[in-house]
Amino acid sequence: MAETPETADQYFERYREIIPDYPAFLEALSQPLPLYFRLNTLKVRDPSPVVEGLSRQGFRVEPVPRVPWFFRVEPREFSLGNTEEYYLGLIYPMTLSSSLPVYALEPRPGELILDLCAAPGSKTTQIAQHTEDQAVIVANDRRLDRITALVANLRRLGIACVITTVYRGEQYPLEVSFDKVLVDAPCSGEGRYRKGYEGELLFQKEGRTNLSGIQKGLIVRAYDLLKPGGILVYSTCTINPEENEAVVDYLLRKRQAELLDWEAPLPSHPGLTEWAGRPFHPHLVKAKRFYAHEIEAVGFFVAKLRRVA
Amino acid sequence: MKGKNRKKLDPQATWPRLIPEEEREEILRYLENRFGIPPEIFNSYEFLATAKNYWLFVRTPHLRTLEKLRIQTAGLLFLRKVSGYLKPTTATLQRFGVYARRGILDLDRYTLDRLRLEKKIPFTCSLEPGYVILRCEGKIWGCGLYLPEKLISYLP
Ligand SMILES: C[S@@+](CC[C@H](N)C(=O)[O-])C[C@H]1O[C@@H](n2cnc3c(N)ncnc32)[C@H](O)[C@@H]1O
Repeated sequence: MAETPETADQYFERYREIIPDYPAFLEALSQPLPLYFRLNTLKVRDPSPVVEGLSRQGFRVEPVPRVPWFFRVEPREFSLGNTEEYYLGLIYPMTLSSSLPVYALEPRPGELILDLCAAPGSKTTQIAQHTEDQAVIVANDRRLDRITALVANLRRLGIACVITTVYRGEQYPLEVSFDKVLVDAPCSGEGRYRKGYEGELLFQKEGRTNLSGIQKGLIVRAYDLLKPGGILVYSTCTINPEENEAVVDYLLRKRQAELLDWEAPLPSHPGLTEWAGRPFHPHLVKAKRFYAHEIEAVGFFVAKLRRVA
Repeated sequence: MKGKNRKKLDPQATWPRLIPEEEREEILRYLENRFGIPPEIFNSYEFLATAKNYWLFVRTPHLRTLEKLRIQTAGLLFLRKVSGYLKPTTATLQRFGVYARRGILDLDRYTLDRLRLEKKIPFTCSLEPGYVILRCEGKIWGCGLYLPEKLISYLP
């Protein structure tokens, strides 16, 4: 079984052509991931007591420009999970870019929203917060143990607008149709990778699962669960086009969906219209790629689509 | 350690039932009498019930449709029925306790820490015996029970 281990530099070489300022990207990989939290505005409006409380415990806390309610924290090696602010549900630690799919989703009070791969609930709780606990959110995950963690987060943050279910996303019952569906898909997680600190690359996991196949199953079912005119957001935290553009392109060929523009609070690059000699639908430029070194957070891919028929 | 603080979810969970208007009124009256929480705070929420618990869930015309799903949980654990009394959960008080005007116990840091550690401490105050909102340095911690000469913690 022993194979020559590929170094991270060798691994990412395959993306040299698509990653902007590639040397800066490699440089960022040697730093530990920056630490962020979201303020739970369902419980506190004024961040100052939280910021002061965390400062007393040795954290330096700065608001993130352009992304409301998000704060950056140093030292990033510390854990926020043991703080009083965490225990009281005043904060939710999550990477900055994990907020992006919810910006694309634009949830509104009263909407019926499905979060198909929801655990542990960063985005579910953010949707609840954006809608003042007034959207109707169904948070699903195929794993009961992960839904248990999500329910603990809902209780900690005091959220009352969520129903939880445990289904395989590909087989989600079609009896209920939704205004919006979020597919924050299981992925290879390349965007999280930091040398020696965080994440594993696919070659280290030996990549036995067919992630792209699972993602295609999830995105098609998500589309089928939408009301006509409904909104679908597909996101991953990976760079790999096979798990991103290729998955969206698959949906565009199977169903009547259209890609939409959306406004992101962080710098992005257009989705690819070609990879490994294979062309994708030209509208894929409307999808957005976010790179770790440009946003100082986990790399992300986000596409927003509408069900046409 | 894993899962130690987490309640096991019931894989056979069924949908809680919608409660009749009188039962809702009774809950609202309790929250108003005991804590001074105005009933209007809950206008956009439905109260659902299982055997011993009440759940808070956002009011929606889709409730009947959603009942087609096999669920694990619906909404926030709101109140429990404990030997005939209603007991608000810590989660509820942490979220809605800001609207309370009475039934609040302000503890200093030392007393709070001691209560959390020992779960039950000797205590005297001017409040009517019953469930209380525990507050410390302006932050709401959750639910306690004040009985003559003692204070019991329900903090997780
Ligand atoms: C990227 S994580 C989701 C993170 C989450 N959205 C958040 O923001 O906290 C992907 C999740 O998909 C779940 N998952 C994997 N395969 C699935 C499937 N076939 N159906 C539904 N969920 C699945 C995993 O258990 C995992 O919790």
